[in-house]
Amino acid sequence: MSPRPEFHPLQAEEIARAFQEQGVEYLFIGKSGAILLGYPGATQDVDVFPARSPENGRRIVAALRQIGFDIGPELERDIMAGKDFVQLKAGPFDVDLVFAPDGIPSFPAAQARGRTEGVFHVANLRDIIASKRASGRKKDLIELPLLESFRLEYEKRHAPALRTATEIARSTPKVSIAAKADPPPAKRRHGAAGKH
Amino acid sequence: MKWTDEQTMEQFREQCRRQMDRPLALRVKYGFFRVYKPVLDDAPWRSFQTMAEYRAWCEKHLPEYLGFQRGA
Repeated sequence: MSPRPEFHPLQAEEIARAFQEQGVEYLFIGKSGAILLGYPGATQDVDVFPARSPENGRRIVAALRQIGFDIGPELERDIMAGKDFVQLKAGPFDVDLVFAPDGIPSFPAAQARGRTEGVFHVANLRDIIASKRASGRKKDLIELPLLESFRLEYEKRHAPALRTATEIARSTPKVSIAAKADPPPAKRRHGAAGKH
Repeated sequence: MKWTDEQTMEQFREQCRRQMDRPLALRVKYGFFRVYKPVLDDAPWRSFQTMAEYRAWCEKHLPEYLGFQRGA
């Protein structure tokens, strides 16, 4: 491939602005997310966790084209379909669309705990760390002690400490809709009769 | 001067505090860069149906020194 121009810092902002204009639901995750929160590190990738829906996919495609990404029909189809992992190298900078990041089971839950830094929507630091831990990759495991140290400092300034999406999912009792609904009248009468 | 692990970590925590004090624009400026990564950068795009497929592809195709292999 021919060499591409260097990553320009403003490009990270460009993608956030384009997503905002197109109404994309997303969160920055990974090291790029941690850096936006103040982690003293550096990265080459922009990792984005988008909500998975055809409509959000359509908005992502429009936003990326707006800032110069070359998106052909096949790639468009994969983004619209929300494949777990879509890696883009044919744009002004590298973007990973991670529709199913390890360690973050639910977009709405992660979004609810996310934080806005300027124009950037960023996942909760605990979710970012949980995702790094769950990936199990060497480069992530090496970084974990530093991310945890950063978290201790970060949470001194940004209380309260929030639980991760995984922790919430584990602690929430699984109640089926059928069990939550009122029983049919006949059964209720039977149940009441049985008590006496 | 030889630092202990605790001194090193305190230095890092101090670095964290300074970085959080910096405006967002500077965090972006110093936080993002690009260098060529072999194999990984040699296709315009790629997609994977599942994260497991992506992880398996990384394990099989990427040079070990990039760190994408699973740790112990």
